[in-house]
Amino acid sequence: MLSALKTYGTLIGFLLVVAFFAIEIPDTFMTAKNWLNISQQVSMLAVVAFTMTIVMAMGDFDLSVGSMASLAGIVAALAFRDGQAVWMGVMLALVVGLLGGLLNGALIAYVGILPFVATLGTLTVYSGLAFLVSGGKTIFGRDIPQVFSGFARAGLPLSGTVSLPALTILAALVLAAVWFTLEQTAFGRRLYAIGGNKEAARLAGIRVKRLRFLAFGLSGLGAATAGLMYASRVASANPTQGSGLMLDAIAAVFLGMTMSEEGEPHVLATLVGVMILGVLGNGLTQMSIDSYVREVLIGTIIVLAVASSSLGKARG
Amino acid sequence: MTASFRTRAFGAALLLSAALAAGTAMAAKVAVITPYLAQPGTQFYVEAFEAAAKDEGWDVNVIDTKGDVAAVIARLEDAATQKVDAVVINVDPAQVEAGLAAVKDAGIPIVGMDAGASPYLVTNVTSNGYAMAADTAAYVANRIGGKGNVVMFVFDAFPPVQVRGVIADAVFGNNPDIKVLDRVTPDVSDGGIADSRAKMEAILAAHPDKGSIAAVWAAWDQPALGALQAIEAAGREDEGIVITGIDANPQAREAIAAGGNFEASMAQDFHGIGKAAAEAVAQTLGGKPPKSSVIYVPTRLITAGNVQD
Repeated sequence: MLSALKTYGTLIGFLLVVAFFAIEIPDTFMTAKNWLNISQQVSMLAVVAFTMTIVMAMGDFDLSVGSMASLAGIVAALAFRDGQAVWMGVMLALVVGLLGGLLNGALIAYVGILPFVATLGTLTVYSGLAFLVSGGKTIFGRDIPQVFSGFARAGLPLSGTVSLPALTILAALVLAAVWFTLEQTAFGRRLYAIGGNKEAARLAGIRVKRLRFLAFGLSGLGAATAGLMYASRVASANPTQGSGLMLDAIAAVFLGMTMSEEGEPHVLATLVGVMILGVLGNGLTQMSIDSYVREVLIGTIIVLAVASSSLGKARG
Repeated sequence: MTASFRTRAFGAALLLSAALAAGTAMAAKVAVITPYLAQPGTQFYVEAFEAAAKDEGWDVNVIDTKGDVAAVIARLEDAATQKVDAVVINVDPAQVEAGLAAVKDAGIPIVGMDAGASPYLVTNVTSNGYAMAADTAAYVANRIGGKGNVVMFVFDAFPPVQVRGVIADAVFGNNPDIKVLDRVTPDVSDGGIADSRAKMEAILAAHPDKGSIAAVWAAWDQPALGALQAIEAAGREDEGIVITGIDANPQAREAIAAGGNFEASMAQDFHGIGKAAAEAVAQTLGGKPPKSSVIYVPTRLITAGNVQD
């Protein structure tokens, strides 16, 4: 009983937050439309956090995801401006994301640079590249094809005026793919083994270097996907627009990690972390509470959640 | 133990937000949404808007997304769900159309406060960026007698500042003896002064001769201040290099009053913009929305002669 509470404390906290908003904002908070709104609002952060979970399963970080998201949006927008087809621009951006992620992986796995330092370096490089290729300008208006910006506004009609947003569907597909990869394949189990003990994993015959290399590639691909979603949603690309995603994504994974007995990140727990951040933003806005209070609350909740789960472990 | 501790922690957080939510009256609700509250100009007009709103008895919620434009869309959707009575935005409307559509669908009027033109807005209250750039660029051209090398500081990524650069290009281009030496886009992540100073130091080093730089035209005050620091640090303040900015922020006014190279800037009436935006909201709520899609609030050239006014 106690251990269940310990494991699900963050989930219970999330439900308390939801219950609080449901009582305080009775007319509009617990409506299908609002929840679909929230799901769409968090979709970009969710994709980054889901793929961040892959590298954090190995005990690593990827700090470059925010600037990679910006760069991917810029690459696609420049391709559109150049008259390329939408699918071509999207593919180019995803390739840039994958290659950028693999570069991170190569620096970390084969050159042996600490992930913090390597991805801090590439964070700056990708951000600089985004400014360089865009000339520091926001690309918007006629340069962004309707088909591309229309994606973020599209959705599957459910009933009446309510529809399931395309961005939400995309995030759910990424969630399913990451869940399958981490929880249902040998690749995923080996990543957790690396996270448990790199040396033991290596001695057990796991090809640690290759797996780290590939895992960072996936994180880069996820960042590029989120960058494209962001660019579609704001119908423009700006060299800094993804920069807020990185810290929120790491925060979401940390919140999720408090739900694991071993302190391991799992992607479904990351989803809870993402939803906590999203619901607080949505609910506090509807309650007309100062936006800075959200920051203070989120920071406090992260520290409390992590502190209480580690206190629990120390006693247990 | 742990669980109860955690529950208590959440309880405390929830109580905090409940306490903050208390005192919400049933007045007209107006959401002011911007990613740019950290900018001094935005702060001024938000303050003026809040002051005017207080007189109207509105319940104003100022939401700052700290540079995140997609979050502005999210907050616009939330405002639509919350069914506020009016929304005021300070962001490029083209980038947040998805959110504006949600607000408009909910039948809520939107007023732009230095935002940009958009069919979703009842009106946009702003300064005339073309006119401001024309005033300072013409000041520079006249002061240097239509002759010499000019350094420009621009920022084309932000549409309201981009239009200033276009007009200055036209004014300098129309003077055959004025040569634009460099068109610099400073890194603004540190506020813009430090990087502009570094860029200007490099330009000064590349043009060491007296008189080789006649003027610095900056699209806003921070690069002008950076250029001033670079010129003074290089000991070249007596060469008569003319510097102009736009916005006339307090630091710029001080520099202009000191009577050095920084000679002129444009005072936007931030207070007036906030107040006019509140008037536009009041008219719209009263059923008589403003007819024009743009409302210009007048600006003024600030020089040593009138900086003390």
